[in-house]
Amino acid sequence: MNTSTIQDFSGYNPTWCPGCGDWGIGIAIKQALIQLGLSPSAVAAVFGIGCSGNMNDFLNAYAIHSLHGRALPNAIGIKIANHKMPVIAIVGDGDCYGEGGNHLIHACRGNHDITVIVHDNGVYGLTTGQVAPTAQKGFKSKSTPNGILETPINPLALTITSGATFVAQSFAGDALHSIAMIKAGIVHKGFSVINILQPCVTFNKVNTYQYYLKRAYKLDGNYQKSDFKTAVQKSLEINEEKFPLGIIYQTEKPTYTDQLLQLKENTLVEKKRFTDFDKIAKLFI
Amino acid sequence: MSDFTWLIGGEAGFGIMTTGVVFSKITTRSGYHIFDYVEYPSLIRGGHNAYEVHVSDQDVSHLSPSIDILVCLNKETYEKHKSRLTAKSLVVFDNQEFEIKEDIKKIIIPFKKILTDLKGQSIMKNTIALGASLGLLGGDIDELIKVISEQFSKKGEEVINFNKQFVQAGYEIVKKDYKEKILNYLVKKQGEDKLVLTGNDAFSLGSVIADARFYAAYPMTPSSTVLTDLAAWQEKVGMVVRHAEDEISVINTAIGVSFAGVRSSVGTSGGGFALMVESLSFSGITEIPIVVFIAQRPGPATGMPTWTEQGDLLFSVFSGHGEFEKIVLAPGDNEEMIELTAKAYNLADIYQMPVIVMSDMYLSESHKSVTKKFVDDFIKNYKINRGKLIRNPESVINKLNNKYLRYKLTEDGISERLVPGTPGYFYQANSYEHLEDGHTSEDAQPRLQQVDKRARKWATYLKNDFVLPNIYGDLDKSEIIFVSWGSTKGIVLQAQKLLEAQGKNSAFIHFNHIYPLDKEKVKSLFLKDKKYILVENNSWGQFGKLLTMETGVEIKEKILRYDGRPITAEEIINII
Repeated sequence: MNTSTIQDFSGYNPTWCPGCGDWGIGIAIKQALIQLGLSPSAVAAVFGIGCSGNMNDFLNAYAIHSLHGRALPNAIGIKIANHKMPVIAIVGDGDCYGEGGNHLIHACRGNHDITVIVHDNGVYGLTTGQVAPTAQKGFKSKSTPNGILETPINPLALTITSGATFVAQSFAGDALHSIAMIKAGIVHKGFSVINILQPCVTFNKVNTYQYYLKRAYKLDGNYQKSDFKTAVQKSLEINEEKFPLGIIYQTEKPTYTDQLLQLKENTLVEKKRFTDFDKIAKLFI
Repeated sequence: MSDFTWLIGGEAGFGIMTTGVVFSKITTRSGYHIFDYVEYPSLIRGGHNAYEVHVSDQDVSHLSPSIDILVCLNKETYEKHKSRLTAKSLVVFDNQEFEIKEDIKKIIIPFKKILTDLKGQSIMKNTIALGASLGLLGGDIDELIKVISEQFSKKGEEVINFNKQFVQAGYEIVKKDYKEKILNYLVKKQGEDKLVLTGNDAFSLGSVIADARFYAAYPMTPSSTVLTDLAAWQEKVGMVVRHAEDEISVINTAIGVSFAGVRSSVGTSGGGFALMVESLSFSGITEIPIVVFIAQRPGPATGMPTWTEQGDLLFSVFSGHGEFEKIVLAPGDNEEMIELTAKAYNLADIYQMPVIVMSDMYLSESHKSVTKKFVDDFIKNYKINRGKLIRNPESVINKLNNKYLRYKLTEDGISERLVPGTPGYFYQANSYEHLEDGHTSEDAQPRLQQVDKRARKWATYLKNDFVLPNIYGDLDKSEIIFVSWGSTKGIVLQAQKLLEAQGKNSAFIHFNHIYPLDKEKVKSLFLKDKKYILVENNSWGQFGKLLTMETGVEIKEKILRYDGRPITAEEIINII
């Protein structure tokens, strides 16, 4: 049943810069939720800290505006408590690949059934333009005036090899494709990541709309997304500044909560209270 | 009347710990009370392990200065503990393994020969030692065989029978060769059913009683057995236990679970808690309830992982950036641990803030027997109180705009918390300062309103749920008034008994509701012209500092121990 509208999902007016890629991502998320027939009451969203996280005030849902880097464990917690509710994490590249990098790796391993939408713009916009872990080596920023010494993280290869069961990439300038990717990620049962290439018009003069239009391309129908080795190979293209768009990898595995016998009958939040305390007491007598 | 201490020692990695618990269980099944204590290095193999059990007819929660039966599985045990022997003490050892020159009461058990004859592994020395100990104490060998059978029940009859032989071998040598030395300290008698619990077990049990359905942790001594207890019980009790990648993930998973409406908690020691504190502050401003269990060990940094200290009090009280409200509790023994743990979940839900339950290695890893009746009665009387958690917001919505306000300004400071998923509504829990509806705001007025609203929750707590310290003895009739908090309770109570035997009256103010403190009410306990003595297991006298800061009361005399070992009653008496 599709009864919700853009208005239902819209909170306050966004404060993003004119031309920012976040506008496109914001619309794409709302459209995806509407097209899936969801309402703000039926979705849990966790936001990180950054320009991306500021979507907290613009998107209506049962939401947590978390700490920088910690959205994933919050989202995992909500899913464990209520595994019937769709849970999305809306995060930035510094947020998820930098500060929260450890959580990302282990969330992949756990195949927690949450959808992680990463705004990948190569910079820290909210703190006025320091370099992010996805920036190309040599990228000059306020915190790296001589160019960044580290090589960029490869979020696609990292998540595929860490155990994510759905890894996709889209471009903020292509809203329709982003909607399709977000929908597919939410529908996927298991840990899904959508890395969205997002121009920061204010602080990133390298990775512009033009930059991505030249270097990004859509995967065609012959691409074998379920083949692990093909997916790893494909994901390595971004090391050469070539950006495949689409579902890079998708496979089926039991999710974290699927494997918990104690959640077979009911969700943790709806379960009846355990009261057979003698079962525990007798272990100590 | 029975009151004795049994100590078994040997090389780490050879079953000393398990043997100690078996001894404690046989003792309580025979009708006695116990308090035990383990000493072990932060190693899996090598090094020295010692497990002592203080047994008494009466409820007991302290160690005794002397050892009545010392079981030495190696020479080091004898050397390390001989200073605690008296003329009456019995020392169990194998003279084929080492000689003891001193003139003591020797009980020679040929461990080595028995192992060779019966083709046993060296770990079975423990089983022989248990049989011999029970023989010396006049205990019931059937009780021991029963415990061993339960322990090996999954391994089958053959393994049980194999182990039985070692019990019998130890027992029979004593009956045959040392008949005149047998002490009838452990003659089986009628007694109530008792649970042999560590402080960690008590926290775990309290959590299940309180209907906590989620626990997360990263292993860290001395808190880890909460994780292993609850992980073992999870399917039975319908709980989910997550061993996450680090302590930051631990607390943030628990916060997510709690946001979704499920009681949740985390456990750690000081170092792990240090990683959690940013998120504690997050729980503070988002008003998402969380229970944090801290089993302290000596720091700083890695410190002394397997030893005890009360060194994280001020850190816990002031943990987290920014000004936010929290409640800190510190149970004095297992009974208080069960009560205050279950209470902590209620307080977290009622006040929508972090509640810290403090323990330390001494309380967390020592077993103390608790009567089954106590546990049953507590369960019967405990009421779950989820405060203003709601599933139907109809009665609380703003009629004008049909809006539910998560951070609504209220007189008691507490706002209704809606279970996510409730149809027709939504809200956000915001780590930024926010308006009543949860939206981010950096304006002055809403900031003041929300800070003041959150602060009112403390005032409500002090009025409704804060409990003054327990007072043992008579403040008016005593010259000396001890002041302590948390795990030192049993030790100070014993010091009071020893003083009484010398004809001296003393009183004892024991705090377990640590923070916040009700200034005027607490101050009134310190107005008498008496000798107040602060007793703490740390070097700064941290509770004393907190007391001064919160109430202006300053305690000049202090008994502080910070070598990683628990304070003893005798030490307190000697200093006075």
